[in-house]
Amino acid sequence: MKLLFHAISGFICALLVIMTTITTYAQDPRIRLAHLDYLAKKASETVDVNIDERLIQLAAKLFSDKDEDEAQIKKLVNGLKGIYVKSFEFDNENEYSSADVDSIRSQLREPAWSRLVNVTSKREGIVEVYVALNGADVVGLAVLSAEPKELTIVNIVGPVDLQKLAKLEGNLGIPDLGIQPNKPKTKNEQ
Amino acid sequence: MKRSTTIKLVTALLAVTLWQTISFAKGDDFNAVVKMIEDFYNVKHEGIPFLAKAAMKAVGVGAKIKGGDAKRFAEAGSIKLATFENQEFKGDLLKFRQMLNDSLALTWSPLVQTLAAQDQEQTYIFVRENGDKFRVLLVTIEQHEGTVVQATVSPKNLALLMKDPEEGAKAITQEATIVDHE
Repeated sequence: MKLLFHAISGFICALLVIMTTITTYAQDPRIRLAHLDYLAKKASETVDVNIDERLIQLAAKLFSDKDEDEAQIKKLVNGLKGIYVKSFEFDNENEYSSADVDSIRSQLREPAWSRLVNVTSKREGIVEVYVALNGADVVGLAVLSAEPKELTIVNIVGPVDLQKLAKLEGNLGIPDLGIQPNKPKTKNEQ
Repeated sequence: MKRSTTIKLVTALLAVTLWQTISFAKGDDFNAVVKMIEDFYNVKHEGIPFLAKAAMKAVGVGAKIKGGDAKRFAEAGSIKLATFENQEFKGDLLKFRQMLNDSLALTWSPLVQTLAAQDQEQTYIFVRENGDKFRVLLVTIEQHEGTVVQATVSPKNLALLMKDPEEGAKAITQEATIVDHE
């Protein structure tokens, strides 16, 4: 009986640890990117953008409501907790490996992350867009763009959707990724 | 002396010392960064003559970036500038970046950092609050020259810098170094 009690307690503890880990992942959709820093030595240009919550709140406070452009950015960044971009541009192809790309993909796994399939980009190569969900709420977004001579990762923490990302492109250090959500196909097109 | 009084006194003393340390660290980051560059790359910065400093306070620069209409980017008299010219900046970029980030992590937020390893070019933009205004610290290092600029900017100009960090940084550096080029 005592042994059974210990076994059940152990099982509950393990379950609690697993649940906590899943919840933590879901609540912190920040991707680890530091391990890619070694690529900076091979890259012709490396860009790191770190706009943390404090700077975002500052931006939301600073951007004017009167200026149309600024008012739009203010609306978009409101509620966000971080914008992080890491981008490497190389002179030659094959300077980064598939393991580098996989190291990002492995962080974007279910159940915390879901890949959006109805997204395309004007850019060449692979462009994958992921959203982090906490229940039904979007709590983060990640874009992985892997071109032959360029590797870019954009990570937005907070409630964000694709429309927002598209409008933020070219602002706040976010590169223009040419991302566009596909329109749902009509019956005739299918 | 009672034990509780001693504890209170020690705590107060510690608090004052800590406050002074933090204030010193905040105020002296510009010099610390210049010193760090000198030590890491074995280079020496050039001082700016007194008259040039005076001119810097009076000069009006039409630094404009996307959406900006300010005639000056930095607040008058707020610019601190250190330049390194005709010197060899050879060293591990990543190691330097790590050192710089570690030393400023407590008081500054890193906004944008760019590296070009082959050309040995590095640009760093750090930001922090300074009362109702903001301080910006820009570090630019190229193969043979370097610049460290610290300036106070208005909230409006910080917004412009955040909107377009690359152009904003160029405008501030241009504004700070224009005296040297004249």
